Amino acid sequence: MSRHLDRRAFLRSAAKGAFAVTAVPTLGQLSQWTELAAFNPAAAGTYKALVCLYLSGGHDSFNMLVPRSGADYTAYAATRDVLAVPSASVLPLTPITSTGRDFGLHPSASALQTLFAAGKLAFVANVGTLVRPITKAQYQSGSVQKPKNLFSHSDQTNLWNAQSALPTLPHGWAGRMADFVLPLNNGHPLSPAITLAGSTRLLRGQTVAPYAMTTSGTVTLSGTTGTDGARRLAALQSVLAQGHAHPMERAFADVREEAIALDGQIRNALTAAPALATVFPDTSLGRQLRMVARMIGIRGTLGVQRQVFFVRLDGFDTHDNQITYLPTLLAAMGAALAAFQAAMVELAAEPDVTLFSMSEFGRTLTTNGRGTDHGWGGVQFVQGGAVNGRDIYGTMPNYTLDGPDDVGSGRILPTIAVDQYAATLATWFGVAPGDLATVFPRLSQFSSSNLGFV
Amino acid sequence: MSNRGHTISSSRRPAIATSIAFTASLWLTACSGGGGDPYTPGTDLPASEQEAMRFLQRATFGPDEASFDRLSYLGYTTFLQEQRELPPSLQEGRLLSLGTDVGQSDRQEIWWRNAVRGRDQLRQRMAFALSQIFVVSDRHDGLDGDPVMLASYYDMLSRHAFSTYRELLEQVTLHPAMGIYLSMLRNRKPDPTRNIRPDENYAREIMQLFSIGLLELEQNGTPRLDTLGQEIPTYTQAEIEGLAHVFTGWNYAGATGWSGATPNRRPMEPNENYHDRNAKLIVGAYLCPSGVDAESELAFVLDRLAAHPNVAPFLGKQLIQRFVTSNPSAAYVARVSAVWRDDGNGVRGNLGAVLQAVLTDAEAFDGHVQSPQTFGKLKEGVLMQTAIWRAFAARANNGFYGYSNPETSYGQAALRADSVFNFYRPDHRPQGELTTLALDAPEFQLLDQNTAIASVNQLYRSTIVNWRGRSTPAAGDVLVDVTEPMALATDPEALIQWLDRWLLASAMPSGLAQVLRTHMTQVTDPRRRVTECAWLVAASPQFAVQK
Repeated sequence: MSRHLDRRAFLRSAAKGAFAVTAVPTLGQLSQWTELAAFNPAAAGTYKALVCLYLSGGHDSFNMLVPRSGADYTAYAATRDVLAVPSASVLPLTPITSTGRDFGLHPSASALQTLFAAGKLAFVANVGTLVRPITKAQYQSGSVQKPKNLFSHSDQTNLWNAQSALPTLPHGWAGRMADFVLPLNNGHPLSPAITLAGSTRLLRGQTVAPYAMTTSGTVTLSGTTGTDGARRLAALQSVLAQGHAHPMERAFADVREEAIALDGQIRNALTAAPALATVFPDTSLGRQLRMVARMIGIRGTLGVQRQVFFVRLDGFDTHDNQITYLPTLLAAMGAALAAFQAAMVELAAEPDVTLFSMSEFGRTLTTNGRGTDHGWGGVQFVQGGAVNGRDIYGTMPNYTLDGPDDVGSGRILPTIAVDQYAATLATWFGVAPGDLATVFPRLSQFSSSNLGFV
Repeated sequence: MSNRGHTISSSRRPAIATSIAFTASLWLTACSGGGGDPYTPGTDLPASEQEAMRFLQRATFGPDEASFDRLSYLGYTTFLQEQRELPPSLQEGRLLSLGTDVGQSDRQEIWWRNAVRGRDQLRQRMAFALSQIFVVSDRHDGLDGDPVMLASYYDMLSRHAFSTYRELLEQVTLHPAMGIYLSMLRNRKPDPTRNIRPDENYAREIMQLFSIGLLELEQNGTPRLDTLGQEIPTYTQAEIEGLAHVFTGWNYAGATGWSGATPNRRPMEPNENYHDRNAKLIVGAYLCPSGVDAESELAFVLDRLAAHPNVAPFLGKQLIQRFVTSNPSAAYVARVSAVWRDDGNGVRGNLGAVLQAVLTDAEAFDGHVQSPQTFGKLKEGVLMQTAIWRAFAARANNGFYGYSNPETSYGQAALRADSVFNFYRPDHRPQGELTTLALDAPEFQLLDQNTAIASVNQLYRSTIVNWRGRSTPAAGDVLVDVTEPMALATDPEALIQWLDRWLLASAMPSGLAQVLRTHMTQVTDPRRRVTECAWLVAASPQFAVQK
């Protein structure tokens, strides 16, 4: 209850412009937050943003990054049947690290090929939800704990968001991570966790609560200008500020009050900023990433130093008609990502912004003749000026059905845990090594907490 | 003839303005032709106007004069009986009558029309609730261009809103909209030479979402625990794969071949050449024998699923959440489960009886008194919209309810969820106090800083902007009728009482009333008083949270 009241009081003071933007947060500002999180002082003084691109439905990433030749291609083609990309059309990649295996990209992912070649993009092979490392034999015998409800959309999404260890807590790892870097934002009332795609657990911290925007910015209250409008606004704010009897009423009023309080400030900063010269594709993802870029463009005006954004591309649950849907999705994704990278250059933010993909699972290597089913491990990618690009981190699987990496129907056993992938990003973001265990309690189960891709 | 005096006992009934009286004789004239009213009032009349209004917030898309008068006249049981027996307001026929160039906007228009104006309010509310359990969506590439297919699916839900669950489950399973959405349509038996195995999409979701859920449940909805205190999964991946083999061989009705079939909206039909005839494991570690045809095997597994003990608490609790409260007591769930198992006539899964049990449970009537800090739910956004339109008898001059994209204001629209997991999960808890208090609040998943303002703006359009009598309205503007409250508006207390009655079931807190009084010292024009105060009430947390 006290936190609730604190937040309401804080929001009202923010609405009146009572908070001051200072270079160093004052004790008074810090005490606004219930948890005084430690942060890495070495990371202070610069802006950094993470952008999560969520590929919703379970991305068939083993058909994005695919073998080009050799035994890998033969096994891949046999397993994938009609969905196999013809080897001649696979776009070549030349990673810095040579493994002797030859991988390339789906022909619709040419934008990723360009970013990869420029060193702005890296792939992370075979990431998935894990409680601890597990072998195929351990999976089959049940001797090592598996993530609960494998292959279920909702459950695996939860585990990706909350990392594997603590699915029962309401937090997400990006929100917890933001808790720790919050003091860098100088007490600014805008949440450091911003979603362009609605509700997501990923951004829920202990202190940090996500802030939602639309692809055209904030939503502004109608009918509140002029004398009549000012009276209406005052009456509305009075309605919301009552001491509501029911906790749901209070929760509802909180969101409406916060939204009204923040709208003007963000809208004014966006309006005042120079227009982006970079042209984004007019697609769902293009519009989302364009607004992320515009928000990054006003980082100085707002005086914030840490932000994490969430965008989402739907449609990856390709049970049916995958041969049509997946190329369309990859092409739309690539075009938006290329524009985003160009915008970061335009905004002089390229080294400060890292985009990363997530998806609840990879898909089966086997098909149903028209599409694929829910799998487990998959390929993710990271993009940005800080990324140690043009490389494939981790090990791509063996594509043989019933082979060493297949736990059934071509569901691939992950070799990198979500925790490791996320902790690498969190470390770059400025979470101190000593705090990683708080954000990722099971991290010590895995061999490395930094995969080195950024 | 006034029906008021004998419908609500005068000792417990607050004064009702005579101007809103709507008589039984009017009802007969308007609705039943010359045949007389076939329904005889029962004895379970609402004990108070407030009790009736609270009931109508759940059983309809918002109280209006007609529903209030009918309930007050018939009493609960007969009111519900009549509602169940009214013919369904349908979508497909109307959509087809508009021509060939119809879109999802036209489908949404019909949905609003039926929600705001349909006499079969209970059926439409139930269809809407069912559409959020048995989800299909126009966000799917295979359905976005086919509004008629989705209208047909919604009509199926409306028609079966009060049938048995088993019958509904079959209708859902075989409707081609679901066949497309969860890819059971043309799901084929394995072909090991090509590494082809049956698609598991429908098999997984029919169990996880449409019938039994992930965990074994007690009849009161709490998880069953094994001897080690652990939750017990209802099924394994092996049982999903088994069920996936059951759901093979189904194609469009009348198809002569497999891949070249002509799309249509009739229930899917089997093609035995593509149905797997091997034995398969299904839920409950049951082995379906080999050699069984697609239709018989489907009937068998649907019987098994419908008979599973989880169905009653798993779906019964969700119906309570859709209609009454996000956090029902275990005892409430158990009472609804009992009716699910046996409606009193030995029928299992009688959805009409289940809904009646949900709506007339003691907890539904007195939860706001017994558990004032936990009882209730956030209204879904579209229900806020319908409540305003119904209370103010809103209509457009062109007769349409052309509101195509409510998701931009409220985060939802009929058959427009992002995925089969609906607009929200039943156990969603928003960050902050509700998480601390461990209160589920599914509808909060739609509330963020965007919808928090966009919904107020939509309500602003629906009150302050679009009132009947405004200058130069567009033909399609849905206009609220403010005639009746305007007549009261010279007296602030009378207007407050009117708004309180219709929008808040006479539960307005004194603080909100005081804000309205203060506002009316600045706004004296009666029409502006009505529209601005209606907006303030509609924007209040008290309107948003149904208790």
